[in-house]
Amino acid sequence: MSKPNIQIDDLVREMTDEEYADLLATGWTLEGTDETPSDS
Amino acid sequence: MPVPDFSPGEVLTAAAMDSIGLWLVKTQTVGTTVSSVTVTGAFSADYDNYLITYNGIAGSANTVLRLTLGSTSSQYYYGFIYQSLGSATINGLQGQNQASWFYAVPSTTNETAGSIELWNPFLTKRTSVRSNHTEFVTTGAVGQFVGYLNNTTSYTAFTLTPNAGTITNGTIRVYGYRN
Repeated sequence: MSKPNIQIDDLVREMTDEEYADLLATGWTLEGTDETPSDS
Repeated sequence: MPVPDFSPGEVLTAAAMDSIGLWLVKTQTVGTTVSSVTVTGAFSADYDNYLITYNGIAGSANTVLRLTLGSTSSQYYYGFIYQSLGSATINGLQGQNQASWFYAVPSTTNETAGSIELWNPFLTKRTSVRSNHTEFVTTGAVGQFVGYLNNTTSYTAFTLTPNAGTITNGTIRVYGYRN
């Protein structure tokens, strides 16, 4: 499975393994449920 | 010379230009299906305070865009007062020593537009933030987000990261308030 893209200014590239691990550690998921605060 | 109604061919004096309060620092276009967008060179010694606008950012999910400065991932404090459309109830959320300003910017599958104000991001002082949170969802939340970053780090960049999924398209503009 490919890793998501990251954008820094105009450069868009695939995340490195380390960047992807860091993103996952924040609780990020590709397929999110509705997480808007109205559901809180 | 009535500012800002300049006449064609008119010589603009330093005094006239110095009276302009808002200057465009940077325009950033958001790419396709990105999991974060970092805007570098946004803050500098030129301005103490900033207005950031965003238009047309479409999320793959209804979520939020976590706002962070530089590489800092702690000490974000905030309060978020909002109302869910269709309900008369006023709700509040708060965060202390969080990893981001979590509710500063909404992200919905409908393109989102709004603004963020930052005070002191480049100065070696605490940074405060205010934003309007307007979800383009018929039963979505609308509200005001305020907070601060509890450190005195100087920042030049900020990042928006969807809490889930990716974002596509849109334009981010950074303006500096003239000191």
